[in-house]
Amino acid sequence: MNDKELVPWLEKATLGDESAFQLVYQVTHQDVYRTVAFLVYNKQDIEDIVNEIYMRMWRSFHSYDPNRPFRFWLHGITVRQVQDWKRKAWRRIRLFERNRQMTCEQLEWTDKAVLQSEMQYELFSLIHQLSYKQRVVVILRYFHDYALEEIADMLQIPVGTVKSRQHLALKELRKRYEMTGGDVYVH
Amino acid sequence: MSIDKELREELRQAASSMHCPPDLYGRVRQSYQHYVNEKRGISTMKKRILAGIAAVAILIPSAAFAASYLADDIFGSAATIEQRGGTQEDYQEIEGMLQEAQGKLTEDEFKEYMELTKQLMQLKLKITNENGVKHEEKLSKEEQQQFEQLASKLAPYFEKINGSSKP
Repeated sequence: MNDKELVPWLEKATLGDESAFQLVYQVTHQDVYRTVAFLVYNKQDIEDIVNEIYMRMWRSFHSYDPNRPFRFWLHGITVRQVQDWKRKAWRRIRLFERNRQMTCEQLEWTDKAVLQSEMQYELFSLIHQLSYKQRVVVILRYFHDYALEEIADMLQIPVGTVKSRQHLALKELRKRYEMTGGDVYVH
Repeated sequence: MSIDKELREELRQAASSMHCPPDLYGRVRQSYQHYVNEKRGISTMKKRILAGIAAVAILIPSAAFAASYLADDIFGSAATIEQRGGTQEDYQEIEGMLQEAQGKLTEDEFKEYMELTKQLMQLKLKITNENGVKHEEKLSKEEQQQFEQLASKLAPYFEKINGSSKP
């Protein structure tokens, strides 16, 4: 099912049609879950955020511009929701023993499932070590295949900033990959 | 392999190993139902508010209409008869009479009736001093004639009004 076909169902779902809701969820949930899981590592947090993303989808459907691709809107919501969560998490951390929480969080991302995938995918584990700002650009660029301008639009930052974050991320990845003995070309 | 390609491949593979837990569906569905109920709640509340506004919109003009006395057409205001020894109650009584006439006469008849009553009352006001005592001698001959004419013209209306009220 493509974007255009999905929009009428989404509209029905926002009006209270439960079968439409099921369909929208079926079509979108893996994509939403994976995108969030690339950006946030704690399993419980990922699920909370996915739930919030769907809430936001129903509530802000009226602001969806049908001239733009549905997935662009959906990913915009996803990224904003993750950022909201990060902001909230930062506030929580500031309030309660910031340093201790930070170490806890560091440990949390070595969640079992994640750890497993890290063993399998070396480069992927390096992506995990990037800063959030660089990582989100990498995910949107290389997982979702967005153009730099689209990423800039979605993150509401200048294109130049997107470019430099992407550049820094790649530089970092190459450096670390070499250190771990990977065989990536250095341009 | 260039890093671009490798990244794409790596992310694709990593993604395919990540699966949205099936029990998350139940949770999202629950929030969805909550959203739907909330939305329904809001829309019924909106309907109630709209009904409230409509009711107020209807009530205000009818209240304003009820506040305009028929007697005001004749005297201007209650103050006119109060200056001549009348009271607010008298005014209400006249108002009652006029209301009754309006109910019993046709629209054209009532217009005529109001016009005649108005002229008659003007004359009556002229001969009544501030204590409510009448001095008919104050009227000129012409005015006296006019008074009688008005009274005779009004007579059939009075009959109609009183006649049907007391059959």
